[in-house]
Amino acid sequence: MTTKKEDIDVQLIKHIQEGLPVTKTPYKDIGQALGMSEDEVIQRLKKLLEFGKIRRLAASIAHRKIGINANAMCVWKVPKERVDEVGKIMAGFEEVTHCYERPTYPDWQHNVFTMIHGYTDAECEAVIQAIKEKTGLTDYVILYSEKEFKKVGVRI
Amino acid sequence: MILCDTDRKILHRLQSNLPLVSRPFQELSKELNIDEDTIIERIKFMIEKGYVRRLAPIINTQAMGREATLAAVKVPEDRIDEVSAIINSYSGVSHNYLRKGKNCNIPYNMWFTMSAKDDEELHSRLKEIEDRTGLTVRSLPTTKKFKIGVRFKIY
Repeated sequence: MTTKKEDIDVQLIKHIQEGLPVTKTPYKDIGQALGMSEDEVIQRLKKLLEFGKIRRLAASIAHRKIGINANAMCVWKVPKERVDEVGKIMAGFEEVTHCYERPTYPDWQHNVFTMIHGYTDAECEAVIQAIKEKTGLTDYVILYSEKEFKKVGVRI
Repeated sequence: MILCDTDRKILHRLQSNLPLVSRPFQELSKELNIDEDTIIERIKFMIEKGYVRRLAPIINTQAMGREATLAAVKVPEDRIDEVSAIINSYSGVSHNYLRKGKNCNIPYNMWFTMSAKDDEELHSRLKEIEDRTGLTVRSLPTTKKFKIGVRFKIY
């Protein structure tokens, strides 16, 4: 169901998804462009964050450009009954930025995906080693990115 | 690399939420002990030079009612440019990487994420990519999330 309120939120997100104005009063400037008050912009953003429609209002960093060159996708074969326990352990590592369970196929048996970012491959692999020790898992594959074809934030 | 300690401090802090107050950068200036004008100037510099892609809301695709998946394709070496161009042409594709297994062969080499307004649109786009490339697209949607939140250690 679409309500008027959601339409305004969508309009607000669309207006700022390419970037907030970097000024002393960004919310006031957004409000001026959209015909709403500074306070309304702030309250709407608070609600969007509170309800999880926006994960964060923050900077997206070009990680390769600041030297975080290693990006390992490590996929694990985890028995169904251990997925919850293991997923929580993996998520606890600071270098693990994403941890998901995904479906398997006859030619794809690895069901738990972890994304690990680091300054070097060795740094990523040290984290993988620590995960192995903490979980006792041994069946995994590390997929390194060889080439980035596209990397943009999600837009609506 | 031309980022100074001040830039790094700002960059580190900017990965968490910008305060929702009238003067957010003034608030940051108190936290970081860097003056507001400098913070604004350095953020503009880091955006202009491409260290910061954008300072913006990070959208929760699913909560906004959209559907998303991670898809994988086995692309022959000599068709990589052609196929990546087709995949990248869809606006719902946010990431696309060529990946290789370390010391191990894996059945797919091109990995991309795609979102669409609903499941039907998502599947019809994946099917369209299959039709346009003649390759099989494997869809691996998330069945359970344990963590999402890219924040990097800046040092």
